[in-house]
Amino acid sequence: MRRAKPSRQALLWCATLVALAFVLFPFYWMLNTSLKPPSEVFASPPTFFSSHWSLDAYAAVFSTRPVGRYFVNSLIVAAGATLLSVTLAALAAYGLTRFFPRGATPFVMFLLFTKMLPETLLIIPYFQLMSDLNLLNTYLALILAYSSFALPFSVWMLIGFFRSIPREIDEAAVMDGATVLQTFRRVILPLARPGLTAVALFTFLLAWNSYLWALVLTTDASMFVLSVGIANMVGEYRVQWNELMAAAFVAALPVMVLYSLLERHLVDAITAGAVKG
Amino acid sequence: MDARPPVGAKVVPDPAVPQRRSASAFGGRRRWYGYAFVAPVALFLCAVIVLPLGHAFWTSLHRVRGLNTTFVGLANYVRVLGDEAFWHSLYVSLVFTGASVALHMALGLALALMLHALRVARTPLRILFLTPWMVAPAVGATIWLWLLEPQFGVVNYLLRALHVTSGPVAWLGEPATALAAVIAVDVWRGVPFVMLLMLAGLQTIPLEQYEAAAIDGATAVQRFRHVTWPNLRYLLVVASTLDIINTIRHYDIIGVMTAGGPAGGTEVLPVLLYNTAFRANRFGDAAAIGVALLVLVLAFSIVYVRLTRPDRVEAA
Repeated sequence: MRRAKPSRQALLWCATLVALAFVLFPFYWMLNTSLKPPSEVFASPPTFFSSHWSLDAYAAVFSTRPVGRYFVNSLIVAAGATLLSVTLAALAAYGLTRFFPRGATPFVMFLLFTKMLPETLLIIPYFQLMSDLNLLNTYLALILAYSSFALPFSVWMLIGFFRSIPREIDEAAVMDGATVLQTFRRVILPLARPGLTAVALFTFLLAWNSYLWALVLTTDASMFVLSVGIANMVGEYRVQWNELMAAAFVAALPVMVLYSLLERHLVDAITAGAVKG
Repeated sequence: MDARPPVGAKVVPDPAVPQRRSASAFGGRRRWYGYAFVAPVALFLCAVIVLPLGHAFWTSLHRVRGLNTTFVGLANYVRVLGDEAFWHSLYVSLVFTGASVALHMALGLALALMLHALRVARTPLRILFLTPWMVAPAVGATIWLWLLEPQFGVVNYLLRALHVTSGPVAWLGEPATALAAVIAVDVWRGVPFVMLLMLAGLQTIPLEQYEAAAIDGATAVQRFRHVTWPNLRYLLVVASTLDIINTIRHYDIIGVMTAGGPAGGTEVLPVLLYNTAFRANRFGDAAAIGVALLVLVLAFSIVYVRLTRPDRVEAA
């Protein structure tokens, strides 16, 4: 396997590139369509490359459609959910690893259980409760919903990270006269930075990519997030595919950038989280 | 089964396993500090998970008509379980999940083996292959709606150019082709994740085992059968269980592409639930469907938890 002959490597590369072409073609087509003028979108046969590529559709979605607004909404709820969920998860993970070295099992099993719940089941009571509390069409409703399903995984992951920080460090800080909160904030949190980054990213992307919760909890178009706004454009009488694909690209780009920059962090965290519960 | 320690066992020590404890750092009040740190999450999860879950059960025992709510006992369950639409939906769910998971596993493993055998550029390739999985399922589904568009879609154009089909196919217009289409999109989205897990698994296989096999003159197929496969088997079982759990409760792709149609052909349980609650406005029935879905997911969750239990991993 390691001592593969050059011809075998070449063959492997061919197969890999063919597979890659299949996997990435939809994104190429999204980009290609988003850059076409309206007249060329419905050309038959379709053009795989065009000399008329322009950013007009992007200008259109930001000027004539509320895609900018959707973008800001997505950003607010994803950032809010990240902040809330990372704060709560860090507190819990610290408390569990430092103060309950043996009693944490039932709580951890509960976390595992909540990770498995079908979100469609929870969406019904969420809708009823949020509408009773007059929280439909608010950022708060979405932030709470996203935090609720990001938290179990976040706590779970952070427990692992906090475990790896030796307890002697806490003890040294206490010796030096630090209070519990000071130890947590000034000593432990900075050491847990890689873990906090991974969890923050994970929550942000989960919230950014989520669709069903926003679909149910927002009815006012000015409160739509990107995923809902985009899926809604499909229902129009005559779909402007170049504008729709431009909006899809706007939704996909931040995710792609974040992932490729921080791939290492996330991949380790996600593989560990999946296999280890 | 000969179970190997899974990937990542080293990265995340299990919280349930007690650690060797040194002298207490915070004196006798430690327990109260502990409660104070854990309380916010415990309260939050009660408010956003336990309470809604309880409310869902409560709703499943009531008939909800606007502001009027009447207790009906198990009538919703009786009606839902007596309705052919539910059993049809369960069948569609099983076909969708079975086909999707089988293809995720087969293609994910194949891709991982390919990438693992490459000598250069593995990391950039892994990022590229991961793209469909990063992007929101709802957005991915929207892109596929355009690709599959009957008249101007590029899929129909390519198939006609290659003489696979003779005319435009309305992929989402017939129950059978619509189900195949949503499975294809789910496969496109789900394969990268399995590939990622398998790549991580492949990296944990000791090289000596391959070297020993090479010395014994094993062919590539034999090396796969006697070294790779036994080493990956545990991971494959865990990953497919997790994938079943995630696929059977997935809503977004089908919700965006077909909303369950045509004629219920793609109406998996989560979509049936959504349609019952938010289109037909029958919250009681929808909650009963949700509880049925929960039972289904829990059955697989128990398998998953047992597989990844720390004592099992450590015993291996």
